[in-house]
Amino acid sequence: MPVLEGKELRIVGFLCNWCSYGGADAAGVGRAVQPTDLRIIRVPCSGRVDPIFIVKALLNGADGVLVSGCHPRDCHYSAGNFYARRRLEVLKQFLPVLGIDEARFEYTWVGASEAQLWQHVVTTFTNRVHALGKAPRFDAVEPLLKIADMALTALRPLGTGKNAALPKLKEAIKAKLPELECVIGWQQGYDEARTVPLFARTPQDVDKFVWGPFNVNNPAVYLPTFRGKKVGIVVKGCDARSVVELLQENLISREDVILFAMPCEGTLDMARIGEKLGRYTTVDAVVCDEASITITADGKEHRFCMADFAQGKCYGCATPLAALSDVSFGAPVDVKPVSATPPELALLDSLSLPERMSFWRGQMGKCLRCYACRNACPMCVCRDYCVSDSRDPHWMSQLADEREKLFFQTVHAFHLAGRCTGCGECQRACPVGIPILALRQQIGRVIEQLFESYKAGTDPAAAPPLLTYMPQEKNIHERGWK
Amino acid sequence: MRIGVFICHCGSNIGGTVDCAKVAEKAALFPDVVYATDPMYTCAEPGQATIESAIAEYRLDGIVVASCSPRMHEPTFRRTVERAGLNRYMLEMANIREHVSWIGKDVESNTNKAAELVAIAVAKLRGNTPLHSKSFEVNKRVLVIGGGVAGIQAALDCADGDIPVVLVEREATIGGKMAKLDKTFPTVDCSACIVGPKMVDVAQHPLIALYALSEVEEISGYVGNFTVKIRKRAPYVDWDKCTGCGACSVKCPSKKTPDAFNEFTGVTTAIKVAFPQAIPKKAVITAAHCRQMSRGKCGVCAKVCPTGAVNYDMEDVIVTEEVGSIVAATGYDLMDWTVYKEYGAGRYPDVITSLQYERLLSGSGPTCGHIRRPSDGREPRIIVFIQCVGSRDRSIGRPQCSGFCCMYTAKQAVLTKDHLPESQSYVFYMDIRAPGKMYDEFTRRAVEEYGVEYVRGRVSCVYPDGKGAYSVMGVDTLLGRPVEITADLIVLAVGIEGSRGAGELAEKLRISYDNCGFFMESHVKLKPVETNTIGVFLAGVCQGARDIPASVAQGSATAAKVLGLFARDRLENDPQIACVDMRRCVACGKCVRCCPFGAIEEVSVRDEQKAHVIETVCQGCGLCAATCPQGAVQLAHSTDNQILAEVNTLCRY
Amino acid sequence: MNAIRFLPSDGLPALLSCLVKTGRRILAPVEKPAVKSSVVFEPWSEGKPLTLQKATVPAKEAVLPQCETLLSYRQTKNADTAALNLDDTPNAQPTVVFGARPCDACGYAVLDRPFLQGPFVDPYYRARREQLVVFTTTCGSGCATCFCHWLGGGPSSPEGSDVLMTEIEGGLVLQSVTDKGAELLNSMPPAAKLADGAPVFRQAEEARKKAWASLLPAPDIKSARQAIAGIFSDANFWQEQTDRCLSCGACTYFCPTCYCFNITDEGDGYEGGQGGRRLRSWDNCMSSQFTREASGHNPRTDKALRMRNRVSHKYSFYPENWGAASCSGCGRCVCNCPVYLDIRAIVLAAIKHAGDK
Repeated sequence: MPVLEGKELRIVGFLCNWCSYGGADAAGVGRAVQPTDLRIIRVPCSGRVDPIFIVKALLNGADGVLVSGCHPRDCHYSAGNFYARRRLEVLKQFLPVLGIDEARFEYTWVGASEAQLWQHVVTTFTNRVHALGKAPRFDAVEPLLKIADMALTALRPLGTGKNAALPKLKEAIKAKLPELECVIGWQQGYDEARTVPLFARTPQDVDKFVWGPFNVNNPAVYLPTFRGKKVGIVVKGCDARSVVELLQENLISREDVILFAMPCEGTLDMARIGEKLGRYTTVDAVVCDEASITITADGKEHRFCMADFAQGKCYGCATPLAALSDVSFGAPVDVKPVSATPPELALLDSLSLPERMSFWRGQMGKCLRCYACRNACPMCVCRDYCVSDSRDPHWMSQLADEREKLFFQTVHAFHLAGRCTGCGECQRACPVGIPILALRQQIGRVIEQLFESYKAGTDPAAAPPLLTYMPQEKNIHERGWK
Repeated sequence: MRIGVFICHCGSNIGGTVDCAKVAEKAALFPDVVYATDPMYTCAEPGQATIESAIAEYRLDGIVVASCSPRMHEPTFRRTVERAGLNRYMLEMANIREHVSWIGKDVESNTNKAAELVAIAVAKLRGNTPLHSKSFEVNKRVLVIGGGVAGIQAALDCADGDIPVVLVEREATIGGKMAKLDKTFPTVDCSACIVGPKMVDVAQHPLIALYALSEVEEISGYVGNFTVKIRKRAPYVDWDKCTGCGACSVKCPSKKTPDAFNEFTGVTTAIKVAFPQAIPKKAVITAAHCRQMSRGKCGVCAKVCPTGAVNYDMEDVIVTEEVGSIVAATGYDLMDWTVYKEYGAGRYPDVITSLQYERLLSGSGPTCGHIRRPSDGREPRIIVFIQCVGSRDRSIGRPQCSGFCCMYTAKQAVLTKDHLPESQSYVFYMDIRAPGKMYDEFTRRAVEEYGVEYVRGRVSCVYPDGKGAYSVMGVDTLLGRPVEITADLIVLAVGIEGSRGAGELAEKLRISYDNCGFFMESHVKLKPVETNTIGVFLAGVCQGARDIPASVAQGSATAAKVLGLFARDRLENDPQIACVDMRRCVACGKCVRCCPFGAIEEVSVRDEQKAHVIETVCQGCGLCAATCPQGAVQLAHSTDNQILAEVNTLCRY
Repeated sequence: MNAIRFLPSDGLPALLSCLVKTGRRILAPVEKPAVKSSVVFEPWSEGKPLTLQKATVPAKEAVLPQCETLLSYRQTKNADTAALNLDDTPNAQPTVVFGARPCDACGYAVLDRPFLQGPFVDPYYRARREQLVVFTTTCGSGCATCFCHWLGGGPSSPEGSDVLMTEIEGGLVLQSVTDKGAELLNSMPPAAKLADGAPVFRQAEEARKKAWASLLPAPDIKSARQAIAGIFSDANFWQEQTDRCLSCGACTYFCPTCYCFNITDEGDGYEGGQGGRRLRSWDNCMSSQFTREASGHNPRTDKALRMRNRVSHKYSFYPENWGAASCSGCGRCVCNCPVYLDIRAIVLAAIKHAGDK
C-alpha cells in the first residue's frame, strides 16, 4: 500500500502481545500523542520475529522497522526475548553489508505499563527514520561491479602438498574400507587441473585418490545423505570444521563417520586459475614443485604460485589439519589465528552504503537461481524443503528479480548464522562468480564479535550462539532512547 | 473466503478522529471482503447483533473488527462469532483506538492508518483456520519442593484440601531456616515452638509423602501431568528401621564433624539426627567424616544401633512421582559474605553472620543458648551489628533489599540484652525498614527500652586491635562524624540470594530467575505466586525477600491456586500453538533446544526422527517457528505466511 | 536470398546502433567483472561495451525468460459489482541476439520443436521466437568442456542461426543463413559500416576450417539412444554415475536446450492488493520438487533417478520424439557444475555399460 505521500514514511513495528503491545495500548489510553507512521503487527513474542521478516520488509519498501518486546527477564514465555535479542542484534549489525542503514532497524523493550517510554520510542524512532528519509529502492540503484583484491599474506607457508602421505592414506583407507559404505575424497576431474569428489567403494577406487591443492571441494556436504550408514571421509582442516558442525547439530552421528585427516598446505582458487588459463582445449601437463603449480594448456605454460593463487580462506587458515579425526597423517601445525577481514568482506567494507546496494544489485543481476550455492553448502540441510521454492511458507516468489535473489542469499546467510564455518563452497560453486561468501562472512564476523570469538565448527559440544542465550549478555548492550 | 469488516466508531472515541465510514468503504475493496460497515458501538449488544446477523446474511466465514485493543475485547468478539456459528478463532482485530484515534488528531493520517491496519488484519485473517482446543486429564497430586515454612504451609493446606502432596526437602529435616531461628520478631516468641508443631503435622498427615534428603532430578510433562524424578540421597541409615534414638551419635568417635545445622558454629558427630525436633527424626551419616566410610575402620554405630539400621553401602535412589502441579518453595541462602574483606568476613573468628548468631542464641545451639565468642568462648560485652552486608550494594551487584534484616537485627539486639544484661549493642544501618504490623513499634522498643545504639552509616573497616577485640571504624552520617567502636563480636546481616542450585531447578521447571537466583513470578503485582509455566507456583523467599508471615501467606496462596486448578477434572489448552510439518522436518533439533517449555520432543516416525509438539505443553510463543530454517514448525494463527501477508500488505513497491 | 558482408573491427557499435534503430532489442554478451568473471547477455544500448566471448549463460532468455508473467489480473470492486480483468498478452518484443555461439543457436532449434512443432504451440514462446534474429559468432576453437561436434554440430554450424559471423583479420564476416537474416543485413543502412563480404569470404572459410581442425576427434555416440534406454532400469549404474551430484540446478539452468518450467500464482499484493499474476519460471529436473506430487509422494526418489531423467531426456526421449538430441554440446553443464559432473562421461559410460551387458 502506498504511504501518505509527503506526510509519512513506511514504518513497520513487530510488537509482542504481552508487554510492548500493552505498552502501546497504555500510551493510547494515556492519549500520548505519537507520529502516525508506525504500523503495528502483533506477534505473540519478540522471539517469534524471525529476522528475515525484517529483511523482507526492508527490501520491499519499508523505511524503518521496529521490534519491541518485554524487558529481558520479563518475557511472558521466560526466554523468547533473550533469543530475540541475540538474533536481532546480529541482524542489526548485518544490515549494513546489504547497503541498508542499520539505523532503519531498531529493537527495544517496552513494558505494558510504560506508556511514556512507548511514546518516546515511537517518536524518537519515527523522527530518526524521517531524518534518514525515504529508503533507497533496491531496484532503482545503478548496478556496480567491483572486484575483491585477493592479494593476501598467508599465516603459514602454503605449499602443494607434494610430499603428503598419500600412499599411507590409501593404505589406511583400504584397511578400513571393509567396514565402511564408502570413503569420500577426491579424484581427478575432466582434466588434470581439476579434481572432483570420489566415493571409493573398492580398493581399485581407493587408488584413484589424489591429494593436492586442487582438492577444493568440501566432502562434508555429502555426509548427511549417508545418515545411518558408516562412511569414511578424507578431510582438510576446513572440511573437518563442517563435520564438527554437523555433529554439533545432530545431523550425523560420530560413530557413523571415520575421519582421515590430511595436513592441508592450501588449495587453489579455481576461479582465478580459470581466469588465467582462459579458453583452452587440453591440459598437457600439471607439474608441482614445493610452492607452485605449472599447468601447460594447449602448449602454453602457466605458473601458479600457491602464495598468490590460494583460496581466500587458506590465507587466514589456522587449522590446516583437522583437530577431530580418527586417522591423522600429520602433526598439528602451530599457527596463531589472526583476526583479519576476508577479502570479499574487505571489499564491501570499503564501499559506502549506497554503493553496497548497487554492488549487490549488479551481482544479483547475474544470478540464475541454480542454487548451486545452497546445494554445495555442507550446512544447508533443509535440501528438498528449502524455503526458496516453497509455498508454505511462501517466503519468496519465483520472480527473476534481483531483490528476491538477494533476499534468498540473506535468508541463506541468516540460516547459517553461527553455523557457517566459512568453507566458501557457496561462492566457489557459483557459476557466475557472485561473491556471496561476503554475506556469510559478515554474519560470522558479527557472531565472533558478539559471542566471545565463537567460531562454528570448532567444538562439537558447544551451543550454537543463536540457539542459546545469557540473561545478561556481555557484548549486547541496550541502546538508550535519547 | 468471505470476510466481513466492522469499523467501530466507539462513539466519538474513534469516530472523532477517524473517518470510519471511509475506512469501511476502503475495506470493502480489500481481497475477500464481501461486507463492510461502521457500527457506532461494536462491543455493545446492538453492535454484536450486527455482527451476528451479518455473518448469517452474508455467509461470512471470518470477520475483522476494527475497534479498541484486542487485549480488551478479543474475548468478547470471539464469543460473538462463536454464537453466530463460526469458529471463535476466525476473528482478527485492528486496533484503531489505542493505536490510532487516541494518539493523533490528524483525520487524514488516522483514516489512512486505520484502513491500513484493517488491510493487514484482513491479510492475516485470510490465513486463519478454525482451531479447536484439546482437553486433557489432571493428575490431582501436587509436588512441593522445599520444606521450609512456606513449603510446609503449602503442603498442609493442599493436603487439608484432600490433595495428595509429595514434599521434597534437600536437607535431612524439614523446617528450613525458620527451624534454625531462636526467636521470631516482633513477638519474640520461640521459633521452634511455632514451626515445630507444623513440622509434626506434616509428618503425621496421611496425604503428605515426605522425601527428606532428596532433590528434584528431572521434570517433564506439563500442567496436570508432570513426571518428576526425585533423587533420594543415601543417608547410610535405613530410615524404615531408624527410631531416632540417638544411640549412634552418642558413641560416634568422629566428633569433629562440622555442624551444618548450626551454621558451622560448632562441631558434631558424623552420624546424627539433625536436631532434636527434626522431622523426620532419623539419623544421617556425613560420609566424608565417617571413619568407617572414609577409612574403612570403625563401624561403631552399626554395632550400637539397636535396630541394625546403619548401612554403609546404601546408594542414592531415584523415585518417580506423577503430579499435576508443582509448588517451588526453595527459600534462600546467604550470599558469599567473604567478599566483604574490609569486615574481615570469613577471616576473623568473631565476625559472624546473623544466622550463626541465631544459633549462638538458640538453646539447642552449640553453646546451649549462652552467647560466647567463637574465638575464645568469652562472653562479649560490646556487640556491633552491621546491616546491609550484601544488600542494597550496587558495587557488588546486589541492588536489592534483603527485606527482613532490619527486623531480625533489632530482635537479636533485644535478645542480646536479655542474655547479657551488661552488654551494649550498636547497629550500623542505612535505613530502618519496618513496615509490618507491630514492626516499627518493635524497633523503637529496641532503642528505647533495650538501649541499642543505632548508628546511621556504613562501617568502612574492621580490624583486630591486638588486645583480643576488634576496632570497628565507621561513620555516623547523621552527626557527620567518624565513629570508632571497640567490639568483642561483630554480627553481619548478610544479604540473601536464591538457595544454592535455584538456577538449575528453575531450568528444570522452565521458569525464569534473576541474577540473584530468585524465581520470576508471572506478574509482579497481579500474579505473584504464578509462574510462566502453567501449573508451577512459587511460595516464600525463593521468589524474593519476605518474612515469615508473608511466606506463610504465600504458601497458603499457592495452595489456593493448586486447589483452584484441581477443581476441574479436565483442562483445555489454547489451540494457538506450534505444529510440525513432518515432511519438512530434518530432525536437526534446533526447535527442541530453544523451546522454553520443553514442549518439543523428538519422536520416531517410520524409522525417521522427527520433531513433535506436545500440544498441552506448548504455550504458543513461536520461538520454534522463528528458529526452524526450513519452516517446518508453524505457529497456528501466527504462521510465516500470515506474518508475511501482513508485511507484504504494508511493504510492496 | 543470401547476403555476405564485412564489418571492420571498429564497426561493431555502428552496426549495433543501426540494429537498435530498427526498433529491436539487442541482447549482446557483456563481461561482468568479478574474481570469477562471467559473460551474460544483456540489452545493449549506445556506448555499452560488449564482448564476443562465449557467454557463461546462454541466450535462452531471449525466448524463454527465467521468469515471465503469463497473465495478470486485477479485481475491480465497488459496492454492487466485482469484476476481474485479465491480461495474458505475451511479453515479447523484436529482438536480436548478437554474438551467440553455434551451440546457443542450436538451442533455439531444440526449443522450437516442443514449443512450436508439437501438438500445442506455446503462444508466449512463439511471440518471442518469431521476432527473434540470431547473429552467431562462429567459434575459433573448441574448449576443454565443449563437444558440439559429437552431436552433429560444429564451430560454424548454422543451425538455429540467422546470421553467422566469423572473425577474420581486421573484422567480421557476416553471412546470412536464413532469409530473415539476409533481409535484416540487406536492410542495414550505410551507417552500419557493412561492406561487401564476398572478397573476404574465403578468409572466413579458412578460419572456420581451422576451427574444425582444432577439435579433438569425436567418439561415435550414435548408439547412445538405445544404450541409455536399455539401461533405464539399471539403478546401480545411475547411482554410481551420480554419487557426487549435489542436486543443484546449474546444469539445467545453464543449458541452452533445457526448457522445463514451473507455473506459480502470486495472488496478493500485486497492484495494490487487488490483483495477482501467474508466473512461468524455469524449473529443473535435478530438484526433488520437480516430480513431487501433491500428496507428498515422489516417484523420483533420489538424485540418481533425476540425473537419469536428464540424460535420458537429452539423449533418448527427446531424440525418440524429435529425431535429434536435446543437447548442443556447449559443455556449460560440465564447466558450471560445482563438482564437474560430466554428461559426456555418463553418455560414454552408458554406451559402454550397455555394450557390456
